[in-house]
Amino acid sequence: MPGLFKKNTKITVDYSLCGDGEGIDPRTCCKCLQSCEPAVFLLHETLGADEDNPLDPQLWRITPLWLSLCSRCMKCVDICPVQAITVL
Amino acid sequence: MCDYCMTHGAGGKWYLNAQNYSNEIVEKYNLRDFLMEQYTNFEQISVRKTHGFNAVGLGYKLRMPLIGRIVKRAAEKMLHSRKPPTNPFKAEGHMGQVVPLEDAITILEKCAAEPIIEKNCMCRYMSRGIKESCCINFGVMSEIIDQLPRFIPEKDKYHLTRKQAIERFIRHNKKGYIGTIWFGPFPYVNNLCSCESPECAGIRPRKDFGIMSIYKAEYLIQVDPLACTGCGACVSACKFGALKITGNPAKVSIDLNECYGCGVCRHVCPQVALDLVPRDEVPGFAGVY
Repeated sequence: MPGLFKKNTKITVDYSLCGDGEGIDPRTCCKCLQSCEPAVFLLHETLGADEDNPLDPQLWRITPLWLSLCSRCMKCVDICPVQAITVL
Repeated sequence: MCDYCMTHGAGGKWYLNAQNYSNEIVEKYNLRDFLMEQYTNFEQISVRKTHGFNAVGLGYKLRMPLIGRIVKRAAEKMLHSRKPPTNPFKAEGHMGQVVPLEDAITILEKCAAEPIIEKNCMCRYMSRGIKESCCINFGVMSEIIDQLPRFIPEKDKYHLTRKQAIERFIRHNKKGYIGTIWFGPFPYVNNLCSCESPECAGIRPRKDFGIMSIYKAEYLIQVDPLACTGCGACVSACKFGALKITGNPAKVSIDLNECYGCGVCRHVCPQVALDLVPRDEVPGFAGVY
């Protein structure tokens, strides 16, 4: 099981810069989505603080979803206009 | 022939049984409300937790010993669920199969329930931010999409006649999009998609993580070695990496284990050397989906 000991890729998106009503609207930008070859990111509506809460359809987020498929090309980090993405 | 055809195929393929497209099923399971709820919150399905897990970092979760197997089993159980659907926030009973162009045309000609529409592909929107209309929906799904403006394509007319739907599907298929037909939810068939990998959220779990989210087609590709010139046009058309150029003189060789039988590679072959054969006629591949 060589994969077990490999370091997992962690991608964080700073939601104060992108999405969550502050910063830029991810629906109009989408640069990280389009630059990513394996399509790691997902554009979706926020779930709210609690999953049972009524949802605000105006808030959209980008979540790095398929992390294990990230090839660490760093294109998303370079292309993001507000530098919200970090890849660890 | 798998279990779906046995129980819901009426002696043929499950997606060619017009009964599976009928409004009777909708009334029986009260799917109108279910689908409305599901498609209002459609984009959240991947990030919402089911059985305590969501799809974030799914590859890493599957790699964990024991827990990985539990996650995989839970995901497959949900997708293959045959119980009446209860939770619209889960992709319950959302199974699909790859269909080649010919079968898709038969579906649109004979089986699909009116009204037929073409909506924006949500997989492409969620993973690329692009609104491209290429998902063909039937019956009650069409009525639901009428009430959800974000699925409605802005440019084109989206209510289609059968003939127009066939024309659109042929156009997508020739572009290299993989035809797929979906239960949504089981046993109601309402989606005929033109998918692309890696954007498609239905093909991705199967291709990258081995979760049975979609079955391979009832066909496999076959090459006529005398006609093939080894130009390699088909290799880049195959989204599953099943084709490669080998040998001297160069010919295309097919990895049948990787072939999903979508038949998209046929459209780019200048020699018309590629053809689909029924899966049942290929030794060792009958019933392997």
